Amino acid sequence: MLAALPTTLSLFPALSACKGPAVLSAPSSVSSQTQVLLQAVTSEQNLIWLYNKAIATYSGLAPTLAPLRAEHEAHLAQLRAMVIEPPGVRVPGTVTAKPALGTTQDAALAQLRTAEQTAVKTLMSRLGGASPSLAQLYASIAASEATHASVLGARIGAR
Amino acid sequence: MTGPNATIAALQGALAAEHAAVYGYGIVGAMLAGAAQSDARTDWTAHQVARDTVVTMLTKLGATPVAASPAYKLPFAVTGTESAARLAAVLENGVTRAYLGLVAVSDPALRTFAAQEMQACASRALAWSGTTIAFPGMPT
Repeated sequence: MLAALPTTLSLFPALSACKGPAVLSAPSSVSSQTQVLLQAVTSEQNLIWLYNKAIATYSGLAPTLAPLRAEHEAHLAQLRAMVIEPPGVRVPGTVTAKPALGTTQDAALAQLRTAEQTAVKTLMSRLGGASPSLAQLYASIAASEATHASVLGARIGAR
Repeated sequence: MTGPNATIAALQGALAAEHAAVYGYGIVGAMLAGAAQSDARTDWTAHQVARDTVVTMLTKLGATPVAASPAYKLPFAVTGTESAARLAAVLENGVTRAYLGLVAVSDPALRTFAAQEMQACASRALAWSGTTIAFPGMPT
């Protein structure tokens, strides 16, 4: 261990003298798979924003919507955790769609149901190009969001 | 990229789960009456259809589909309507897990089929249990 020290020290001037080995530099662009993953992150954030808006506007819907929103928050956390390349990539944290909310409870529920159904379709379209583990995550989230659409559909018109 | 052996293994896993579901829904239906029994019959039929689809897929790949067991050990005693509904949800969650394995194969058509079946199973599980879960099919 101690005997190796001079050799180790001598490497530092060599490394600092050059601009840095290519093997350590960050990739110049994000892979298409990561781009799709980042889009999925944004989609979840947009859905959570819509749930927040609906709960804030129609407090009577909170018992129905809050558990679904919590599952979306879990989806978001899991998707964000899958963003591992390139190192230091900025995971989006902004909501990109803030639509006007339906003017009645039922209209808001229908809007959320449509958003869930759209999310399921989008996730299904992402399966083919995904890695096996990402495809499984997309499929599981799609199954969860399909059940959300059912819950919302059943709540429409119910009092 | 998954090879044919991995694809066949995943399909066999899905088929074994469908066999168990078909058996299990027989128990569920026997404990129910009226609309609930009708729902159980509908779900039982859905699993028979899915089972036959997976058998066809395996046969096309040159594999011999796994056979159903003559009997299955239930996870708990089914003694009435409440435990029957609970068993139905357990069955659906089990089949969902099996299809999650199939989603990992590289064939896009099989991935889509498996994901669609996961949605169907998760929706049936919701109907029986009354609750949603964040990650159907994933280990908890």
